[in-house]
Amino acid sequence: MDQRIPGHPAGVEPVSVHFINNVLAAAASYIEEDPDTARDVLAELGAFLSHRLRGPRTVAPADELEHVGVYLRLEQARFPGRIDAELPAAEDLPAAQLAPGEVQAPLSEALNRWLGQHPGRVRLALRARNGALDLQLDRPDEPGEPGERVRIPLGPTTAEGVA
Amino acid sequence: MSSGLAILAVDDEPRALTDIKRLLETSASVERVATATSAKEALVFLSGGRYDALFLDVAMPEIEGMALARLLRRFADPPAVVFLTGHPDAAVEAFEVQALDFLVKPVTRERLESALTRVEQHVRGTEAAKGGPSADGSEGAAAGPDVVAVDNPKGGGKRLVRLETISFAQANGDYARIVCEDGRFLLRTPLSQLEKDWGASGFARVHRAYLVNLKHAVELRAQLNGTAVLIMRDDTEIPVARRNVAALRRRLHA
Repeated sequence: MDQRIPGHPAGVEPVSVHFINNVLAAAASYIEEDPDTARDVLAELGAFLSHRLRGPRTVAPADELEHVGVYLRLEQARFPGRIDAELPAAEDLPAAQLAPGEVQAPLSEALNRWLGQHPGRVRLALRARNGALDLQLDRPDEPGEPGERVRIPLGPTTAEGVA
Repeated sequence: MSSGLAILAVDDEPRALTDIKRLLETSASVERVATATSAKEALVFLSGGRYDALFLDVAMPEIEGMALARLLRRFADPPAVVFLTGHPDAAVEAFEVQALDFLVKPVTRERLESALTRVEQHVRGTEAAKGGPSADGSEGAAAGPDVVAVDNPKGGGKRLVRLETISFAQANGDYARIVCEDGRFLLRTPLSQLEKDWGASGFARVHRAYLVNLKHAVELRAQLNGTAVLIMRDDTEIPVARRNVAALRRRLHA
């Protein structure tokens, strides 16, 4: 029963109001003890929303990767010390035109599912491979435990397809 | 209630937990706040001390807040449950486990104080039920639910609505149309049943087709034919049946 902000690109999971509210709650928690961090969280949230709500367009993989980085820093602000993230270099990404959120949305879905099912730290690695991205999630504190792998295809999109 | 409230806040998000703890500690009605980052940890706290209420995150790993609330119903003297959620629409299960309130994160001070007032009323009501009037001599909490689960026209799910936000209910066949601050919803309950359930919360049947929250009424306007019209805060005019006018006038002037 999640509520979503309308106006998202077709085929991409829209921004979750649940996520926004939780980020704002995290920002509020920092205000007194660490105002600089509170400010950073709000600035990152502004960048996140700008990327997703700026209207129909396509973005370069490097821009989407930056968006994923912003998203992960917001999640790290919500869960300090719990998420280790490794992202590919922009030059390793395949050439493609992406809808905003095309990588972040499935990555967010996988991470949230993981966090909902597993306590403790999570190690997240996103790697470019054969024209797509492989997302690997595992628990660094439980090295023998199987992780989870999610393939995120990078399909070409056109401006017309991003309604 | 002779002292402030003891609250246990439970959330797997440490920052959200820090925020709600700080807010709770600044409230004059709260005496102490303990925190737990999981349902399991919360159960440890509950086994070792008395808490008036749990402020409980809905979504947590392993044991979700809703499951913990359901478990608490088995306690002989369960603490009140106030859900914390990032979802503006709470799940229907929150109603089923008889949560006292639900707060959307980040929580405003005003909503927090409103929830704490409910907790205080709940505690007073429980104390009164155990052994007569409470220490301050006030009456116990009003009987009946504080929230109601209505059909949500957006998405087809259920939405929780606080009774105090409902202006009136209008008969609509076997359903009741609920008009509240958040919009209009349908409830699959006849008006006659709602009259019984909500009567103690300040609702009155003023017409065959209308059950009204009198706290939302601002004026009773007499009509020439002996009927009347009840004017609500939002200027909605509710017809009052002739046979209900005198009793309603007495109640409004009481």
